[in-house]
Amino acid sequence: MADVTFDIAVIGAGPSGSMAAQHAARQGRSVALFDRNARVGTPVRCGEGIGLKSFVNHAGNRPEWTLNRVKSSVMVSPSGIKVAIGNIDESYVLDREKMDFDLAAEAVKAGATLLLSTPVTGVTRTPDGKYQCHTPEKHYTASCLIIADGVESRIARFLEWNTALSRDDIETCAFCRVTSPLIDKDACVFFTGSTVAPGGYAWIFPRGKSEANVGLGIIGNRSSSGAAKEYLMKFIDRELPGCHYTNLHCGGVPVARYVRPLVCGGALLVGDAARQVNCISGAGIHYSLFAGKLAGTIAGQAVGSGGAVNYGVLQTYEPLWRKQYGKQQDRSFALKEFVMKTDDAFLDRIASSLAKEPPEKMNYMRVFTRTFAKRPLLLLKAMRLFG
Amino acid sequence: MQKSCSGVSMTVSISQEKCDHCGTCISVCPANALMLLTETLLVDTNRCTCCGLCVAVCPFGALQPFSSETVPPNTTGTGHG
Repeated sequence: MADVTFDIAVIGAGPSGSMAAQHAARQGRSVALFDRNARVGTPVRCGEGIGLKSFVNHAGNRPEWTLNRVKSSVMVSPSGIKVAIGNIDESYVLDREKMDFDLAAEAVKAGATLLLSTPVTGVTRTPDGKYQCHTPEKHYTASCLIIADGVESRIARFLEWNTALSRDDIETCAFCRVTSPLIDKDACVFFTGSTVAPGGYAWIFPRGKSEANVGLGIIGNRSSSGAAKEYLMKFIDRELPGCHYTNLHCGGVPVARYVRPLVCGGALLVGDAARQVNCISGAGIHYSLFAGKLAGTIAGQAVGSGGAVNYGVLQTYEPLWRKQYGKQQDRSFALKEFVMKTDDAFLDRIASSLAKEPPEKMNYMRVFTRTFAKRPLLLLKAMRLFG
Repeated sequence: MQKSCSGVSMTVSISQEKCDHCGTCISVCPANALMLLTETLLVDTNRCTCCGLCVAVCPFGALQPFSSETVPPNTTGTGHG
């Protein structure tokens, strides 16, 4: 079987993998970017909602990726009490298909070799410390490996990591694109409750006039075979009756603490594969962009001519991640653990107390301070979650 | 050698028609028995411990427990390598 050599191999061409490949290639290294799919960015497995500030910090100003600016959020409690949150950071609904495609193209432009339809079926380490990536056609050898294979996080398990999630730490999701006159172009709507989405939430994120990304997530320990899709169909029938939907897909969102260590030998974990996801909102794009860029840059600096690796340089990735987002991610996990113990009556009580307040003064922080009011430690974590 | 539960050989069967290739099942598989190729989900019956986690979390219900001495050919895989 033929063997091809690169300085750095990146497995998975989602946002974190493509960012990593781009920034490693910019350091002058030879980079292979693997993806098992024939095309990057499809199908979209994402709710596509994002706050602008954190996004621009890592992706730059990319108006071509934003479909719609939303002006407010609405939270709907289990019994239907609506809390309008008018004071939100600048937020958008993204075109993830275009974004993922463009990011992979930018990695190629920077010099990375994109290998589509190339599933990496396993990874082994050679006696001289290099990584051999096995694909159905060829073996690829690299001095450094960046693992960005998404929620499944399977590749890491060939290298002594145990990334398997417990049922408590996975949201099982279904989502689709809906056309309906009932969609409010200006608001992202979140629905909670055990009859809507046990241990998760349902969302309506408007992509434009009369069109939205509609989906929901259920916590794994309350899911059964096919439940996410069944709940979604019920939700759509109830909230958007008579609508037309396309692009029905599914996915998993890890709601675990980020994987430790993030670096092992010459291998680095990034994005969903590293469980770098906000456990309360399920948002992970900004974490992924940051981690991918950081890991790619560091790997590019750590690998020298002839493929020699400075392993000490690679080790700087985890503390830098921790400083920027890791602590925040840990807090989100602690808050999730509390939220999972609450019930519908608790959420209704909070909603009913907040519903009386004027929407223009309402922000996410106020929702969280009310939710965690009787838990000072969690309240502190909540206040620092968005800081 | 296939693992067995209560004396019956078990693994999971995969409906390739229902499977959306999202990888949620793989994320929870404690035995690393599942693998996605470009458009095919495979189960390595030698690794599968029939714990049922993948069945429970599949958003589309593409996985079902399967008990038999013989596994349909389209659901078998050889794992990595």
